[in-house]
Amino acid sequence: MKLLSKYNQVNVIATIIVLLLSAVAYYFVIERTLVHQLDKSLVVEEKEITDYIRENDLLPEPSDSKEEQELYTPAKDAKVIRKFSSVELYNTHHNKNVYYRQLEFPVIVQGKIYIADVRKSQEETEDLVQLILKITLAIVLLLLATLFIINRFVLNKLWQPFNTTLQQIKQFNVAGTNEVDLDSTNISEFAELNSAVTSMTKKASQDYHEIKSFTENASHEIQTPLAIIRSRLELLSQSENLNEEQMDAIQSISETTNRLSKLNQSLILLTKIDNRQFKQTEDVNVSLLLHRHLNNYEELFHAKEISITKNITEDVILNMNETLAEILIVNLLINAIKHNIEKGSLTIELNKDYLSIANTGKILNTNPAIYFERFKKESTSNDSMGLGLSIVKKICDTYDFEISYNYKDRIHTLTVNF
Amino acid sequence: MKILIIEDEKELSESIATYLKGENYICEIAADFNKAIEKTELYDYDCILLDITLPGGNGLEILRELKASNKMDGILIISAKNSLDDKVTGLTLGADDYLSKPFHLSELSARVAAIIRRKNFDGNDILKFENLSINTRAKTVLVNDKPLDLTRKEYELLLYFMSNKKRVISKNAIAEHLWGDDMQGNNDFIYTHIKNLRKKLIEAGGTDYIKSVYGMGYKFSS
Repeated sequence: MKLLSKYNQVNVIATIIVLLLSAVAYYFVIERTLVHQLDKSLVVEEKEITDYIRENDLLPEPSDSKEEQELYTPAKDAKVIRKFSSVELYNTHHNKNVYYRQLEFPVIVQGKIYIADVRKSQEETEDLVQLILKITLAIVLLLLATLFIINRFVLNKLWQPFNTTLQQIKQFNVAGTNEVDLDSTNISEFAELNSAVTSMTKKASQDYHEIKSFTENASHEIQTPLAIIRSRLELLSQSENLNEEQMDAIQSISETTNRLSKLNQSLILLTKIDNRQFKQTEDVNVSLLLHRHLNNYEELFHAKEISITKNITEDVILNMNETLAEILIVNLLINAIKHNIEKGSLTIELNKDYLSIANTGKILNTNPAIYFERFKKESTSNDSMGLGLSIVKKICDTYDFEISYNYKDRIHTLTVNF
Repeated sequence: MKILIIEDEKELSESIATYLKGENYICEIAADFNKAIEKTELYDYDCILLDITLPGGNGLEILRELKASNKMDGILIISAKNSLDDKVTGLTLGADDYLSKPFHLSELSARVAAIIRRKNFDGNDILKFENLSINTRAKTVLVNDKPLDLTRKEYELLLYFMSNKKRVISKNAIAEHLWGDDMQGNNDFIYTHIKNLRKKLIEAGGTDYIKSVYGMGYKFSS
């Protein structure tokens, strides 16, 4: 729900309640006042009647006009109490029931007690109340119309700086070079927001670039000592008079150095993908890429006697970063080769909707979902740190590709839906 | 053949120099930016190994200087910054190759040899070892003057051995050379390839030059 609608909702409901309450209040106050007026004029009538009776000792002529009635009835018992009341009676002039205000009081004519009824129509009061209701309704409608117009033309304009800022924030990319450029506004809330957004994005951008250079520096700092260890080992292994124990030690250190180096590179790659440092995209011919790498590994397939079935649609083009496309394909292929078995099979399918790589392999002991997590591996296979698939996953996430794993009848299938 | 190693890590530059000297190269070392500029201005080298992050300046600057003064030295960038930007910039500026740290010395040696071969227009395309002869331009191999039919990877493997004669080459270095970084740790593949290459060489009447070195790898020697 928009802030505007929320505000309007509250506003309109409150206004309507207040207007209705005030209409009710008007009604009662005005009715009371009018009744009071009627009562006063009834007292005047009463005085006239009693004066007339005192002078003439006769009942005045009963009258029945549109607005007024006067009538006299003999009292059945001696006790008649003077009282005001409202009654609903049939009015022959209007041919309908009408509310009257009446005053009953006793009069004594020629020793006999009569009840005098003086009535005045309340028609006017009702008309007035109806008028008040109509006016209230009109005001409510007018108010709604005004709110609508204000929202439509004034508030939208008032919120314009906010929308501009929001748009800029949406387009903001920490990896990008363009800074957020916000228009100045004379509304203090928005001015404050803009200055907060500007300083925040500047900080984010700065932090990002610091982390980026840290990653590269960390890579540099770690790779150089690794390079020294490796080169020293290689020189050492050239020595003529090494015994078996020493050779084993060299081999073991060398393997560990390789692992460390590979691990470091993989982590740096993951960080770089996370940091969206591969944002430059182009149309990549995935089919060509796949052919090229399959070709490169051809002899590996021969060595393991793996039979390959290719079902590759030519010229499948994806708009993505070329390096990442290559890493994606290499990692998938290597995964399928490394975990394959002797005389196994490999089925590769590529079309514009998906890439699927199915290979024979050992039965998995673990939940396939964790294969996409970092540092998970099938322990018996080899000493790779199992980052290959998490890199694949990360690349897929970057481009909103959907990756799924399926195992059936000793065939492991990885499918990437583009 | 003269080689200049521009690298600020003394331990590393010395290891490289020691290894390359074994291949009969003359090696000089420059440990910082100014020293490197000085040496490249004064002398010509067959190949320059160039580290990008140097004390005193960026290695890419040296590359620019060299290209600006039309020097023909072959240039191999060795950088720990496996950063794509540097790689692209380096190659665009005219570097011949790019190798990221940590590398295998045998790989470095093979790359250096390839650069020098390409730079020598007088055409020493023929590599010889005993009764073996490789034409690196035509990519053909002769054993006792008779052509030997090798697969692409077998040819690359043989050339790699020829660039690192009498050296112990680790299986990892071979795997990385043939299939790239990601194929490490699967050394059983190497065994099959070595076996096939050996078989072909022997069948063609050659000698078995490829020796297994216990636990560590292989060595190509007579």
